[in-house]
Amino acid sequence: MVYTKKSPALLIIGVVMLLWGWLNASGNIDGMQQYFQKSAYSDHLKVKEKFDAEFRVASEIAAAENKPAPDMKMPKSKFDQAKAFQSNMSYIFGGVATLLGLLILAWKPKEGNLDYYLSIFPGMAYILLIAFLVRWGLDPMFANWGKAAQPTLGWNFASIFNLNYVVLGIVIGIVIVNVFKIPDWAANGVRTARFFLKTGVILLGALYSATELAQLGAISVLLIGFFVLGSIGVVLYMGRRMNTGNSMTAVLASGVGVCGVSAAVAASPVVNAKAGEIAYTIGTILVWGVGCMFLFPTIGHLLGMGPVQFGAWAGTGILNSAQVAGAALAFDPHGIETLKVAEIFNITRVLFLPIVVLWLATWYVKHEVGAEKVDLRKVLFAKFPLFVLGFILMFLLSTLGAFTPSGHYQGKYFSSAQIKEDKLLKGKETKAIEAELARLKEPAGAKQLQDFFTEKAINIGQRHATPEDAYKGLTELVANRKVSTREQETLLKAVGKMKGLDAVAAGAIDKASKAAYHSSKTIGAFRDWLAWLFAFGLIGLGMQITMAALKQAGGTPLIIGGVVGTIKAVGSLIVVLLFVKEFI
Amino acid sequence: MKAPLKLLLCHHGSSGARAAETLAHEVAVPGTTTLVHCLVVPELWAGMQGDDWLNNASTRDAFGNYVEGMLESDARRELAAVESGCRERGLAYESVMRFGNPAETVLAVAAEVGADLVVIGAPRKKGEQGLNSRMELEKLVRGLGCPLLIAAHP
Repeated sequence: MVYTKKSPALLIIGVVMLLWGWLNASGNIDGMQQYFQKSAYSDHLKVKEKFDAEFRVASEIAAAENKPAPDMKMPKSKFDQAKAFQSNMSYIFGGVATLLGLLILAWKPKEGNLDYYLSIFPGMAYILLIAFLVRWGLDPMFANWGKAAQPTLGWNFASIFNLNYVVLGIVIGIVIVNVFKIPDWAANGVRTARFFLKTGVILLGALYSATELAQLGAISVLLIGFFVLGSIGVVLYMGRRMNTGNSMTAVLASGVGVCGVSAAVAASPVVNAKAGEIAYTIGTILVWGVGCMFLFPTIGHLLGMGPVQFGAWAGTGILNSAQVAGAALAFDPHGIETLKVAEIFNITRVLFLPIVVLWLATWYVKHEVGAEKVDLRKVLFAKFPLFVLGFILMFLLSTLGAFTPSGHYQGKYFSSAQIKEDKLLKGKETKAIEAELARLKEPAGAKQLQDFFTEKAINIGQRHATPEDAYKGLTELVANRKVSTREQETLLKAVGKMKGLDAVAAGAIDKASKAAYHSSKTIGAFRDWLAWLFAFGLIGLGMQITMAALKQAGGTPLIIGGVVGTIKAVGSLIVVLLFVKEFI
Repeated sequence: MKAPLKLLLCHHGSSGARAAETLAHEVAVPGTTTLVHCLVVPELWAGMQGDDWLNNASTRDAFGNYVEGMLESDARRELAAVESGCRERGLAYESVMRFGNPAETVLAVAAEVGADLVVIGAPRKKGEQGLNSRMELEKLVRGLGCPLLIAAHP
């Protein structure tokens, strides 16, 4: 079979992207970008104003000295950077799409690997074009409209309904598949959305600290364990009471209990689900999942939830795993902290999947007359989610310092050696510290330090900190004009917060502390790419949600799914609000 | 009304389809009528993996093969049952099995086989369980070039 469809679509998409890149680079659409990038443009005006003033002064000085006007370059504003980013992205991906588009038109496709892999590019470019449109156009446009309508409505509709690039992307995906249909030339590429979402989760593994992972892992196992096992138990009970049939009950229990459609897909063949039963279950889960994806972020904002609480709630309460990622990004579209929490819950769910499938297979064999026994070991191996290994590998690599010095937290790491010259303490600052050092060496100062260390339980390694430690740290800080070790930084940071400390000295300690922490470029790049990978994946998954599948929701499965889904959503909300704190 | 030469029976195993089969048997004339059984597997099955993304490719393939196998065996059973009914009555029998939108597929098959009568079942009553894949009657009526007979709901 030949997969590549001879179509100019990829070439057209490539040319459109290149055109967008050129329009941005040449400044021809600056007027439009000023509307889209309002906040960046206001930064641009400030930078320009400052530059103009500096240039004017420099020119006046040069004129007074009979020298030619200085050659000064305006520093890049956030607006310039945003345009340059759009331009570069458009050039890179537009260039690739144009070349491959020409190849598709020129080449006579033959069966084989080249044909198969070439066939996925038009669909990928199609999703990417939508992602560009949504992130660079619709997202800021709705944000502007929301703000503009706020005085009239009294509330910001774009913010309340989370009309950001994630939600809009998924909605556009759903509209395309149901109204316009996915074009034949794009069908193969659209299926790669799953691959990109999994890649996003794998990449996310690099952004956790060991403490975060341990804390989130423990809480997710508790919450998911309780609610997954609880909801499966309730579905099995209700199914038996309502005579829904063993296979129907089992497939519904897997879908409602673990991770939605994915669980139903994994369990259906094992419990011999009939065609209609699969359709009912998947329809019910999709309707519920899509509804929750819109509802959860709004409720989360209204309740003032933070990333940990919302991520934990969405990760537990939303039936379908794809909508968990969607809701997390809809709640917090410009950061990834909520996504990080929610994805840990998703991973915990998927790790529960093989166990639950085994449980349901055993339950089905026990209750269904004539059911064939299942090879439990085979099921366990076949259902194990391999991408989780990739996630763990990235976490280990990151923890061991493969991308940035080990011990980083959210991409920030300590390094005394990398402190730049202009970040070293100035004479006025070291003098203020020396004066404080002398005061703290007096009996009253030493007592103040000792009391402070005792009250705040400040430790150095395994022992309590003493005033001598502080003297040594401050003396070294004055001598080196920077902090040298992490231990010294931790101690002095605490000293800097002590009441009664001279403001200049406290500011200098804070400055030295901040100067020792650096942002990892690699981790920063991972963060940027993650948002794109998830946006791409979720738009593609939106294209898999058909009205025909949604319409299958109904009958007893919808009643059971509705009851258990509501209990799970409300129950997990209560548990999260009561017991989960914003501890990260 | 003359006895139809090619009677297209749309039958997918529901109670409405069985009523249509009974009506087709009444209308068809042995030795004259060829009953063409059109079985449409609705396209909703193409989207039945929904937005699953957590499973491995092998699990998705297993699911796809399982559903395909089940739909095929259900379809073969229906085809065999209708064929057996035709044989009992001495009616010539042909079958067409397609995947797609029900109304569009019936229109296409009716044109291909040169049907001079199409028989379908009435839509399922509200609240009755079954797959939600209704025939778009308006599309069918507007597109057909031959009479359409709808069997009353049993």
